[in-house]
Amino acid sequence: MKKKPALLAAALLLVTVLSGCGGKSENTGASTAPANTGGSGNSNKEVTLRIAWWGSDNRHTYTQQIIDMYEEQNPNVKIEAEYASFDDYWKKLAPQAAANRLPDIIQMDISYINQYGSNGQLEDLAPYLNNQIQVGDVNENVLSTGNIEGKQYGIPMGVNVLGLNYDPALLKKAGVDSIPENWTWDQYKEIALKARDAGLFMDGSMTADVFFNYYLRSNGFSLYNNDGSALGYEDDNLFVEFFGMLSGLIEEGAVPTQDKLSQNKGVIEESDIVKGTGIGVWQWSNQYVSLQKAVNRPMALAPMPGPGMEKGLYMQPSMYWSITSNSAAKEEAAKFIDFWTNSEEANLIIKGERGVPISNKIKEALGGSLSEAEKQVFEFVAEMEPKTSPMSPPVGSPEVVALLTDLAEQLNFGKIEPDAAAAQFRTEANAILANR
Amino acid sequence: MRNKLKWPVYHILIGGLAIVMLYPILWMIMSSFKESRLVFATARQLIPDPWVWGNYSQGWEGIAGYSFGVFIKNSLVIVIIATIGAVLSSSLVAFGFARNKFVGHGLWFGIMMMTLMLPADVVLVPQYVIYTKLGWLDSIRPIVVPQFFGVPFFIFLMLQFIRTIPQELDEAATIDGCGKFRLYYNIILPLIRPSMATAAIFSFYWRWEDLLGPVLYLNSPAKYTVSMGLKMFLDSESVSNWGPMFAMSVISLVPVMIIFFIFQKQIVEGISTSGLKG
Amino acid sequence: MSLERPLNQGMPVIRKKMLNKRLKQNLTGYAFIGPFVIGFLSFTLIPMIVSLYLSFTKYNLFASPTWVGLDNYIKMFTNDPKYLQSLKVTFTYVFLGVPLRLMFALFVAMILNTSSRAVGAYRTIYYLPSIIGGSVAVSIMWRNIFSDTGIINGFLGLFGIGPVSWFGDPQAALFMLITLSVWQFGSSMLIFLAGLKNIPGEMYEAASVDGAGFFRKFFKITLPLLSSVILFNLVMQTISAFMTFVPAYIISKGEGGPMDGTMLYSLYLFRQAFMFNNMGYASAMAWVMLLIVGIMTGILFKTSRSWVFYESEGGK
Repeated sequence: MKKKPALLAAALLLVTVLSGCGGKSENTGASTAPANTGGSGNSNKEVTLRIAWWGSDNRHTYTQQIIDMYEEQNPNVKIEAEYASFDDYWKKLAPQAAANRLPDIIQMDISYINQYGSNGQLEDLAPYLNNQIQVGDVNENVLSTGNIEGKQYGIPMGVNVLGLNYDPALLKKAGVDSIPENWTWDQYKEIALKARDAGLFMDGSMTADVFFNYYLRSNGFSLYNNDGSALGYEDDNLFVEFFGMLSGLIEEGAVPTQDKLSQNKGVIEESDIVKGTGIGVWQWSNQYVSLQKAVNRPMALAPMPGPGMEKGLYMQPSMYWSITSNSAAKEEAAKFIDFWTNSEEANLIIKGERGVPISNKIKEALGGSLSEAEKQVFEFVAEMEPKTSPMSPPVGSPEVVALLTDLAEQLNFGKIEPDAAAAQFRTEANAILANR
Repeated sequence: MRNKLKWPVYHILIGGLAIVMLYPILWMIMSSFKESRLVFATARQLIPDPWVWGNYSQGWEGIAGYSFGVFIKNSLVIVIIATIGAVLSSSLVAFGFARNKFVGHGLWFGIMMMTLMLPADVVLVPQYVIYTKLGWLDSIRPIVVPQFFGVPFFIFLMLQFIRTIPQELDEAATIDGCGKFRLYYNIILPLIRPSMATAAIFSFYWRWEDLLGPVLYLNSPAKYTVSMGLKMFLDSESVSNWGPMFAMSVISLVPVMIIFFIFQKQIVEGISTSGLKG
Repeated sequence: MSLERPLNQGMPVIRKKMLNKRLKQNLTGYAFIGPFVIGFLSFTLIPMIVSLYLSFTKYNLFASPTWVGLDNYIKMFTNDPKYLQSLKVTFTYVFLGVPLRLMFALFVAMILNTSSRAVGAYRTIYYLPSIIGGSVAVSIMWRNIFSDTGIINGFLGLFGIGPVSWFGDPQAALFMLITLSVWQFGSSMLIFLAGLKNIPGEMYEAASVDGAGFFRKFFKITLPLLSSVILFNLVMQTISAFMTFVPAYIISKGEGGPMDGTMLYSLYLFRQAFMFNNMGYASAMAWVMLLIVGIMTGILFKTSRSWVFYESEGGK
């Protein structure tokens, strides 16, 4: 039994070490400690910033390049990067938030910003605007997408607009020369049926929450009310019309069946447009470049159908940079965001990978260096920009989105009637929104 | 099976099944030699056309200046330390449960089983806070240290194996003046080698593919593991680098296979050659 | 347990001696299980208590938790059809998947229980699917096999069945998940193999001399001597089947579809915890899960007394 004393000693040691933490850990639940403001008034002081984002290898590589560039120009600043894929990213942030260990700068998504912001995790950036962060060149509608109830929780990195990304050659094959100017939902349905007759699929249906929100907006409403405490529309007929149309197109054979859709979900390479059996995809403009790459044929972008397109369409931030409340160097963090937004050389590397840049000056400066597909996106967004209206506040709830996605799926399978789904959505969504 | 007539039947049966089992792995290996663009377009065709080797060099370059070799090294460090800790500590605890009578025996066994039944998702945040207080963030400590305190799965596994060893053996040893620790070390340990080898294989593989631990606790990219690296090739929002992803998946299988090959011998030969039984 | 009975009889000296012996026994026991006890007290106990507390609260990970009493538990069983669906799916998955997987694993372990070189290669091949476990490659492969033009539907077509819509029908999708779990039987196989190796070959030889056939040997020697390992596999596979997360996540892209057909308990719990940030509700779900699995395991252990054979405990 030679080992026993050593073991016991180790045990005692561990118990003493850990008893110190046991009690403290009970404040797991308690949220933020008072923000540790102060920090770096003096810009020559040594500062270390932590910055986190999600994405894949290409984004990690170029973002790191920009960080290196920034460090070179600001020798007193050291930036530690932390990155992960989208779903891992949120798994990483949640416990960090609970333990007050969030990085100084975090990339934020439209469906999470309200949750992090309204729970005191994010700094209101309004005082930094046009001080550390220059936004003179930014469209007011774009900047306000990061504003929730008067607080600027994030600076958009880039913008997207909704549209149809399609293959003009396949459209011709369906007997349609081009997407009509100011087209309507009725024209869309007509074209879809022609596509079916030509043995093609029109598209891969539409992401339920995004496009329903557009449809509601084009009718003068929105998915959520302004503070996100309830749904933003009263007339369930809108639900019935929109989702009735989507499931109708599946029934008609103009859009693949739901089991085909779920089988190929999330893998661009498996979509009909890549295989040459589908005309287009409804999605955000920043997804165009990679789709075009996968399709590897000439493609084009078309605007959303109307009526009410100008009311419905909005500039959506692809993602934001936010500064966390527990950051000890908020001003330095803000300076980095400024660099990201306004530095020409940085944006020559970014090239709109996180959406079309928000600064007009940068947009112009990038002109020459873009690839064909990137140019198409920039032009499309520029063309749409004057037609957009301000975005509804980003107060969405992932749980409501999941509920809507679920109901849309059941509708597409023909397992539920549109009016029953509309009623169910209203009751359950309002319950979720009222209860958070 | 010694009957000569049975051999062909045996091999046809078992070989046929092996092909079914192996097809997906072959598919993965073959996909690593296809262009990313063609992985899906030619999913039903096993042989690449054309053969592309660049996926391996491209994948090996890694992410943002960290080559894939860095991730492999990081993973190996974690996995080796964790596996040694898990196997040794678990065998100790298993012996404690199997061959010792003490107050609270049933209680602690029950608690051990209970820890297996509570989903990790709900203890993860408080655990994170504990490791924060200990100052263990951005290090491998939250991942490897707990392995040194016994892993319930392995404890139970070895316990079941120790229980099949006749008690008379201990009694003989005890009469010889053997202390409990020597009984454990000299008699029991050699006899449960197959189950320890099994535990080593599992532990190695589980730590190797573990994603949650590294995602939560490792912040600096220089410390990222293979499982994290593999996920970086994929992006649900845009085109994924399938080719390099498959290539590095193949590479990352190699260490796990080597470990399996080494330790499965222990499982198969363990008892039969030591000839302690009967 | 004569040790724990008070020792009133005997002379004080002997009593003291006995007490010393008992103390020593206890100390020895705890020295050996010490690592687990310390690890549990330092890393697991507090988080468990916290999660139990959180299960009675509404907690979104950011704001302080608010006490809601039994609300979470009541909601689960009265006002959350999705929860009940996830229970149903999980029970089907466990009760179909575990026996199938174990029978398959035992069968393969028995045929591979020889030490020729070729068989060593087969062992590795059969174990390989379990190594690529939750990788993206598997999910993509699996979806391909079961697609409408995939191998499975082609095979069924030979018998005039199908094509079955594996992604459109909730039951079929669950079946797809179960096949995936059976395919990855390697870990159970390995444990069975280790167990089979523990059975002395002489016992079979003696039985052969007595003229026993394959089935007689299987039921009289293999099963009884393997029973402790069977219990292990049964208990662990049941627990881990209840906890299954990765296959459902990768097959359904984290959504549990179609129509919640693959919404396993752990997947739903994960969605509540980290997608919807309802940590209070998720904690309550976790504790109900613990109760369910605990009862199942308890039943297995109780019945095991009548069929598990421990050499060390004198034959029974």
